[in-house]
Amino acid sequence: MKLLRKLQSVVLLSLLFMTASCRNEMPLDSVLYSEVKSVKKIVLAQMSVSKMATVRDLPLNEAKGTKQTIAALTDAVKIGDRVAVYSYNTYLRAYMSFADFSLGDLHVDDYAKTITIELPEIDVEFQGRDMEVREEHYRVTGLRSQINAVERAKLKEAMNVSLKEEVENNREFKRRLVEKAKEKAEDYFSTLLARDGYTVIVNFKYD
Amino acid sequence: MTDVMKKTLLIVVVAVVGLAVAGLVAWHNLSPEVSRVRIDKAKIAELKGMVRLCAVDFYEDVPVRASVGSRHMFGRVSLTGSVSFDIEKIKLTERDDTIFVTLPPEIVEVYEATSPQSYEVIDTWNDRFLRSSNVTTAEENKIKAKVKANFRKAVYAKGYVRRARKEAVTNLANLFSALTRRPVVVTDPTPGGTPPGH
Repeated sequence: MKLLRKLQSVVLLSLLFMTASCRNEMPLDSVLYSEVKSVKKIVLAQMSVSKMATVRDLPLNEAKGTKQTIAALTDAVKIGDRVAVYSYNTYLRAYMSFADFSLGDLHVDDYAKTITIELPEIDVEFQGRDMEVREEHYRVTGLRSQINAVERAKLKEAMNVSLKEEVENNREFKRRLVEKAKEKAEDYFSTLLARDGYTVIVNFKYD
Repeated sequence: MTDVMKKTLLIVVVAVVGLAVAGLVAWHNLSPEVSRVRIDKAKIAELKGMVRLCAVDFYEDVPVRASVGSRHMFGRVSLTGSVSFDIEKIKLTERDDTIFVTLPPEIVEVYEATSPQSYEVIDTWNDRFLRSSNVTTAEENKIKAKVKANFRKAVYAKGYVRRARKEAVTNLANLFSALTRRPVVVTDPTPGGTPPGH
């Protein structure tokens, strides 16, 4: 009987322990994939870029080739209109990694009364985009189908591909962002290092 | 007309018709694809300067499950973000030869990633028979705002902020020490950060 009680308590304790372990292993929320990394970045500028897209029927006078002409004719006979305009913002940031910054990058000339700092190269990366989309216009009438979440997600994907191509091909986006970042870095480090009448000279590596 | 002539004529007719059909098929296949979407060129909405120390970057794929009445939606979203600190506003205080710095509040930024297929709607349905499963833009935005708010809480709960603050203390001390060539002491008044709603 004693042995049975002992066994019972061991089983109960094990169950309690297992439940507690399970609780600890329970994720805080559902995550399909996760990656966290330590970085040593100083972010110096952020650019917000807006992208807009229009969903509408293909007009017959703008149709080119057989496929578009057939589609335009099909659209023309449909009852009602289907027009919508969506937009959202994407963010880019300019940063420098100070992981490689060393004492040798700072020169103090007491005779000339100058402090020269060699800052790391400025890089640009996509930071992310708005989760929400702005519905600038929406008019679906007659027997036309509503624009659904699947269609909006596909549209956002197409806008994202187009934006990335533009940023890659048009150097103006990166140039303006880096220019702003350099301006900010010069301003900040000049103020931080300025002392006793010394002139601060800010240079960038690989310039 | 002889048999030979008839046969030749038939071959010619078949060849001409064949070529015409092939031409039509080729013309159709080579014609531009149908697109009812027009994407405008990107425009710079804002450009601002800042000085932020970024200590931690994160990227996570999370499921999007939501219900609006009898309508339901399931999808997947890739979220990305960072924990950073505005070091522009940091005030350095000096005592003897040492510089003292207090770590400022963290800035937690959460965005949808820009990697391919970062947002996918996998299924939408309605519990009521033959009713629309359509989720409007406003409803979808509300669902996504909730996902973002939950994720922001999770960033604190999982210790990302604590880790970022801990690393920022070391990074700032090293950085300011290298720049000023003096001993730097960085103190953190809130090692766990300030979660939303506190």
